[in-house]
Amino acid sequence: MKEHIFSDGFKAALPIVAGYIVLGLPCGLLCQQVGMDWLMVLIMSFIFYSGAGQYMIPNMLLAGNPLLSIVASVTLVNSRQMLYGASLSRFTEKTSGALTFLFGATVTDESFGVNLARFMDGDWTVSRATIVNLVSQTSWALSCMAGTLIGSLVSVPTAIASFAMTSIFICLLCMQKVNATHLLTIAASVAGVVLCKWIGFSGPAILVGAIVGVTCGYVFSSRHDCKQGKPAAEDGDES
Amino acid sequence: MSWETWALIVLPCALTILIFRVLPVFALKGRTLPAGAVRTLNLIPAAAFAALIANDLLSPTMFAAGFWEGIMPLIAAAIVFAVGYKTKSLIWCIVAGVGGYALLTLI
Repeated sequence: MKEHIFSDGFKAALPIVAGYIVLGLPCGLLCQQVGMDWLMVLIMSFIFYSGAGQYMIPNMLLAGNPLLSIVASVTLVNSRQMLYGASLSRFTEKTSGALTFLFGATVTDESFGVNLARFMDGDWTVSRATIVNLVSQTSWALSCMAGTLIGSLVSVPTAIASFAMTSIFICLLCMQKVNATHLLTIAASVAGVVLCKWIGFSGPAILVGAIVGVTCGYVFSSRHDCKQGKPAAEDGDES
Repeated sequence: MSWETWALIVLPCALTILIFRVLPVFALKGRTLPAGAVRTLNLIPAAAFAALIANDLLSPTMFAAGFWEGIMPLIAAAIVFAVGYKTKSLIWCIVAGVGGYALLTLI
């Protein structure tokens, strides 16, 4: 039975592993360029385990952002993880506290998608889902570490390596729903960043821009719902 | 990078993401988030990713080294947007972005 749990989870994680090898190598390479060694990257990849966050840290360091701004911006981006935990909590009602903790602590964007689809099919358990998470996490950490080791041997222009991160964020933005609320949110965020940078307020530009975007989007969707006589929207995207 | 600097950045980030991941799982067994909180959380990814992209691509000095140097990342980003919209694939977006950027630097 335990073998099935592992093999089921491992098989389900394979597409994620393939993606993480491709994503982890440039991430480790970028980390190496800001002076992290392989052990720093390995520990960071295990305890932090955030692709977007781990690309942000070296990129913002290279751009000269203050540490507090980096931590605040990364934290803001990672707050989306709350949605995953909130969505998956219904499947953990009969699971022990320790396993629930391990399962929740190792969820990412990709494993959330894979596990949720299987949970919805009905033939999936928290144990199997946790194996998916752990296999994905291990492959991510090893890929990042390998990228750091490779980065210490070869020279890759920083601008090109860091554009991998920009590409990831563009892709993640493309995955968002396209509607009036989100378009306004995006436009307001961009305007907030541009305004901050043009008045010399570059350090917290990302954080300020994102907060401006969320605020504008929230106000717009609330008013839109009021006009339509709807109760508070479930996902703020009914426009 | 010193271990102190590493710890100042990584440990707070690791702690906050752990809270974000674990807290809702335990707090919401059988319950749902308030609608206002869901609305806000749903807007955060679009806002944060747009801000990050804008921060990478736009700056007051982007054309200081020349028009081509300033417009080149925007062209590469446009290529990635097209690939991302079409495929929704992180891997293809990285290939298109890094490959496109590298090719544009050769022009």
